[in-house]
Amino acid sequence: MGCMNSKSVRKFPAREDSLDLAAETAFTVNEVEALFVLFRSISNSIVNDGLLSKEEFQLAIFKNKKKDNIFANRIFDLFDVKKLGVVDFEDFVRSLNVFHPNASLKDKIAFSFRLYDLHNTGFIERPEVKEMLIALLFESDMKLADDVIETILDKTFVEADLKQDGKIDTEEWETFVKRNPSVLKIMTLPYLRDITISFPSFIFNSTNVERVDETSTRL
Amino acid sequence: MGLVKKIGKYQLGRTIGEGTFSKVKLAVNGNNGQKVAIKVIDKHMVLENNLKNQVKREIRTMKLLHHPNIVRIHEVIGTKTKIYIVMEYVSGGQLLDKISYGEKLNACEARKLFQQLIDALKYCHNKGVYHRDLKPENLLLDSKGNLKVSDFGLSALQKHNDVLNTRCGSPGYVAPELLLSKGYDGAAADVWSCGVILFELLAGYLPFNDRNLMNLYGKIWKAEYRCPPWFTQNQKKLIAKILEPRPVKRITIPDIVEDEWFQTDYKPVFASEFDQNINLDDVDVAFNSIKENIRESTIPKSSSFINAFQLIAMSQDLDLSGLFEEQDEKKQRTRLGSKHTINETIEKIEAAATDVGLSIEKMNNFKIKMQPKQIMTRCSRSYLSAQVIEVAPTHCVIEISKSTGDLRVYHKFCESLSNLLKQKPDVPSQSQDSVDLCAAERKKQDAGCYEEPKSEDSKPLPGYKSA
Repeated sequence: MGCMNSKSVRKFPAREDSLDLAAETAFTVNEVEALFVLFRSISNSIVNDGLLSKEEFQLAIFKNKKKDNIFANRIFDLFDVKKLGVVDFEDFVRSLNVFHPNASLKDKIAFSFRLYDLHNTGFIERPEVKEMLIALLFESDMKLADDVIETILDKTFVEADLKQDGKIDTEEWETFVKRNPSVLKIMTLPYLRDITISFPSFIFNSTNVERVDETSTRL
Repeated sequence: MGLVKKIGKYQLGRTIGEGTFSKVKLAVNGNNGQKVAIKVIDKHMVLENNLKNQVKREIRTMKLLHHPNIVRIHEVIGTKTKIYIVMEYVSGGQLLDKISYGEKLNACEARKLFQQLIDALKYCHNKGVYHRDLKPENLLLDSKGNLKVSDFGLSALQKHNDVLNTRCGSPGYVAPELLLSKGYDGAAADVWSCGVILFELLAGYLPFNDRNLMNLYGKIWKAEYRCPPWFTQNQKKLIAKILEPRPVKRITIPDIVEDEWFQTDYKPVFASEFDQNINLDDVDVAFNSIKENIRESTIPKSSSFINAFQLIAMSQDLDLSGLFEEQDEKKQRTRLGSKHTINETIEKIEAAATDVGLSIEKMNNFKIKMQPKQIMTRCSRSYLSAQVIEVAPTHCVIEISKSTGDLRVYHKFCESLSNLLKQKPDVPSQSQDSVDLCAAERKKQDAGCYEEPKSEDSKPLPGYKSA
């Protein structure tokens, strides 16, 4: 804890760090640098410590500090790989990578499974889905009768719970998702393709190096 | 053996353009073979001339522009020494090349290009973006001869004085108010430049020209030009309104669009189509999967209704886009519950739309597009859409979204629809009948195809003559 408190505000990532993150994700070096511009602005919005807290995360998404949201909480918990209550830049980039249009379907399926496994039981269970559905309807200021909600859940588990044991495992989830691709819509952020245009100030700190290849290639 | 420079996934090739602070190079995307144009800017010169904030702002600005007559920006790449802006490559070259050597275009071709230019400017000005340096070098033609405006927002890279410098060839296109060292209206200045371009397209030469710079400025200041004998009365009339030296009296873009000559063969581009196509992809994915379920499922009763995960996936609360979007750019969205069948719900949506004066267009079985009723010749850029999702035989979710435009109509519509939804169903229907009816109805209806709204040709009034 003392170590974290004394941690200095993070400066622009060193070239090696950007290269490492670019190598293990779908992002280019420049995209990592652009994400740092984003990360620095949102992670210092409440406490200027160079780390992203849950409050700062929700503020960044909703532009409203007071709004508490089960979904943002859930995503933040999944970003918080080290379970420290805050997210550092490396985990931020690695986690956002799942949402990149070029990320693998396998990774998107796995992440979405953990997203819905609210109580970390290793399964998606009916009470968890009901909890999220009710929270969603509440957020939308929409009311559905209890019997309608149960009808939706019944239909959902008829489709997804192939073994009919009352819960969805990873295998069933993969089958279900491939038959219902719209369920994964939330797992792709087209914005990540435009990240260098959205946060162009990275160009003035970039340590990227041009490459000159000796080839006889002609346009 | 030559050196081939690689930037990111692009191989740089020959120089295809040059500016004060930049060069534009042809490049190829190594991943898919796509050609792009890359503007290479020297970072040192940007910092030296204190243009850092302008470059940032203008790159962000270009990101906002989605229009078929504007060059798109794909990506920004930075290195220690240079900035690379990756843009759409427009293969037909510059308009400048087409009107070289005193050639002029035929009136129809010139008008089409002018219409596309005005369309692009209308779109940008509505977003608060001005070009400020319109000239044939910034107007490109694609392989089909369509106009693409380039360098929108990048004119900040030029010092103010450069615009007036003879070397650039720009002086002939600048509005008179730019000759003063004062602030000016970007929209009016762009309109003036369009007038010079239109004159040049029709005449084959510039309206204002003089070897002596001061004489040239004098002519611009007084709007001293002469139309060639082949200009028609309609053309002269429009050009006179555009090349009006007083900005406050100069014709505006909406009025140019209303002009008689401009309206001939005019096919407005509904820029919202391009935003809309993105949305429709999402809708198609959602409903393709539902239709697949209808075929595959062995339990027909429940197969046509949305499942819990699809409903959750529709939520914008689970959408991380807020990290990347500014608040005001986000679309307005409202979600309403309906205790009616899907057909009854759609009827109520249509009734609410009629109630607040919106025209209705079905996009497919589940989505309705609504626009304010206006003269068809005016290009309306705002619209509402309502998407109906069936969650149970007598329960639907309606998601209403609005593109840029008047917020009042949106609120009125939502209020009207909310009231209609609270009314009890006229005839209670049994769930079994309802399911069968819905399934039958859905099979009978073909998915609606979007059709280009017809634009009535503007016909000259019989006997009409200009004073």
